[in-house]
Amino acid sequence: MSEPRPPIRLMFVDDESRILRSLALQFRRDYEVITQNDPQLALETLRNERIDILVSDQRMPGMNGAELLARARTLQPASVRILLTGYSDLDAAVQALNDGEIFRYLTKPWNPQEMAQTIAQAAEQSRLQRAAPPANDASASDAPTRNVGILLLDSDPVIEARVLELCALGGHHLYRASRLDEAVALLNREHVDILISDLRLGERALSPLLKSLAQARPQALTIVTTPYQDTQALLTLINQARIFRYVLKPVSVKLFERALHAAVTQSRHWQLQPHIAVPRTPEAPRDEQERATVNGLVGMLGRLRERFASRL
Amino acid sequence: MADVGELERLLKPVQALTPEVNVDEVARRFLLDEHRAFLSLPVADAAGQPLGLISRYRLQDIFMRRFGRELWGTQPVSEVMNPAPLVLRIDTPFEEAATQVTTRLSYPVTEDFILVDEAGRYRGIGTVPQLLKAMEDRLVQRNRALHRTLEDLKRSQAQLVQSEKMASLGQMVAGIAHELNTPLGYVGNNVELIRALSEPLFALNDALARLAACLTDPAGDEEAVARAFEAAEQARREADADTLADDLRQLLDDTGYGLEQISELVKGLKDFSRLDRAPSDDVDLNDCVRAALLIARNNLKNRVEVRQQLQALPPLRCAPSQINQVLLNLLNNAAQAMDGDGVILIKTWAEDARVLLSVEDNGKGMPPEVLERIFDPFFTTKPVGEGTGLGLSICYRIIRDHGGSIRVASRPGRGTRFLIALPLQRAAHTAEADSPVDAPSPREAEHV
Ligand SMILES: Nc1ncnc2c1ncn2[C@@H]1O[C@H](COP(=O)(O)OP(=O)(O)O)[C@@H](O)[C@H]1O
Ligand SMILES: [Mg+2]
Repeated sequence: MSEPRPPIRLMFVDDESRILRSLALQFRRDYEVITQNDPQLALETLRNERIDILVSDQRMPGMNGAELLARARTLQPASVRILLTGYSDLDAAVQALNDGEIFRYLTKPWNPQEMAQTIAQAAEQSRLQRAAPPANDASASDAPTRNVGILLLDSDPVIEARVLELCALGGHHLYRASRLDEAVALLNREHVDILISDLRLGERALSPLLKSLAQARPQALTIVTTPYQDTQALLTLINQARIFRYVLKPVSVKLFERALHAAVTQSRHWQLQPHIAVPRTPEAPRDEQERATVNGLVGMLGRLRERFASRL
Repeated sequence: MADVGELERLLKPVQALTPEVNVDEVARRFLLDEHRAFLSLPVADAAGQPLGLISRYRLQDIFMRRFGRELWGTQPVSEVMNPAPLVLRIDTPFEEAATQVTTRLSYPVTEDFILVDEAGRYRGIGTVPQLLKAMEDRLVQRNRALHRTLEDLKRSQAQLVQSEKMASLGQMVAGIAHELNTPLGYVGNNVELIRALSEPLFALNDALARLAACLTDPAGDEEAVARAFEAAEQARREADADTLADDLRQLLDDTGYGLEQISELVKGLKDFSRLDRAPSDDVDLNDCVRAALLIARNNLKNRVEVRQQLQALPPLRCAPSQINQVLLNLLNNAAQAMDGDGVILIKTWAEDARVLLSVEDNGKGMPPEVLERIFDPFFTTKPVGEGTGLGLSICYRIIRDHGGSIRVASRPGRGTRFLIALPLQRAAHTAEADSPVDAPSPREAEHV
């Protein structure tokens, strides 16, 4: 039943060649490993060869990792991109997510087992993505699609105005909640494709909800809007909640509109190809207690998954 | 200010003379005990309007002339008095009163001054010595207040210096911590890999041991030996000893290198962080440059290219930790003055009895009005949270405490160059660790 799968091509980019040697040795048995210690050369490789998984360092002479990943996304949208860095740098993380749509944000030093697991997940993701053509405006423009459902968990007037305008123009459904239980109920009842959410709703922290949503409903796209400049928080949101965009408050209208537009395009694309349910595999929370909270919420969101599955 | 009422305290309610009183009578009154303290006596009319002052000095003057007493003794005082003495309203603020009195002061002091009420009516006189005494008291008081303020200022400046120090320390620790992550990353991974790669070697070793046991076992049969051979051969193939040896060697080399890097970073941290280390006699300024660069790397990396032209230098007496702080400040400022990529050039050289160091950047430079103020404490052009405005004022103080000089030249859009000169032999005064006194004034700073 299993036809031989083409080997996954994995490229590591880092200006420290000892990192590259170490990773190459670790992964050469299971993957076709390419290493580059110059981001320019890496870009050259991306232009000429298929790369399934790209793992890049952040700080390199000439070009930083976030920029390389963003350019890799344009050159090879189907590649799975990962940032591996020893520095906590919020701007880099935001750029890597918003422009590079990274799959994971990993930190040095890393745990070899966890790294192997992440690469395996990335390989799985890559196979699924290879099977699906990439999202773009053309594919989404005229085809008849269901209206996009948007859940807004944020009361910022600028954000609200943009979202209202978008819904009026595009005929999207807008849902709103001001409490966590309302939000969960809405997610269960309605068809939510895009979630626009601050990290707090009233007194409640929303990241557990975002993390459970990533597990229960991997296709929902989350745009996080927050005033907090916390790299660590962003890192866990990328890895465990698989958020789609991260927009810092006070929001720049242009950036926010771009994020919204990208989310709408992506969900239209997924609607058009319901047979390719790309699981955007999240990482499980590490903290016991948080894992319990998230699992509880996943249970509450469970019905949604069943409903959604039967519809496909 | 509690000025009102202050003159009240100086008030001597002396009975005023009427203008008709004759000079002899005035002389008699001067001799009265109650008037002993006064240099002069007031003259006022019936309505209480002050008319003048008559002083002992004036009387003396009259009586010492030939026939003075005979000629003037019976004349009314109004004929000889000073008709335009200093008259002050009792509610005049003390400062103002003091100014008026002292500007009119002549030596020897011959007169007192007249105090009147709001309506200008005579109330009494005040004496100059008493006023001077009151002024002195006030000065003492004010001095005490100034002293307290100075102490407060010193304390808060010390705290600020401390916070700037902590800021650079924190930045440095964060930088080094991150810097450590790269070697830690591959060292950790390599150890796991070495563990995994050595497994087949152990297996091979076991297989060989079993084979040897078979061969030396007198009771061993052919078949067992063949099986053992086969197993050993299998283990050897799995261990793939040729490439394995290369891989292991490479991994061990890299791991060793990584550990060296880690200890170098930790040593750098240790060297750098002894911020209060005493001055030492034989410091190579180039070592300071290298230590500061190691620390600053976190801020500079990738964006900024650092070029070093370090010439051999004679040993210098200085507090290395303080010099490091200066260098770190200059490097950070240079990096912050660059929008995109840029170059920092660090030079050291020796000249006469001095060691010189320059830090040059091709950042955005400074207009003259900024340049003029950069050594002022709290002067910053950076947004809150980014700049404290203390960096260069601290640099200035440290260099001055070392008996050296710091100069700056800058051109907007072109770049900036700081030049530090440190004397090899220094006057006996030593670099105190962070006495927060006397902030530099920009005029003291030399500009080139
Ligand atoms: N290399 C440089 N290039 C341009 N401007 C500089 C440079 N170094 C210092 N400055 C100017 O001097 C000011 C004071 O510097 P400093 O005392 O270190 O305080 P801070 O860096 O906290 O602002 C800076 O805000 C900046 O305007
Ligand atoms: Mg500074």
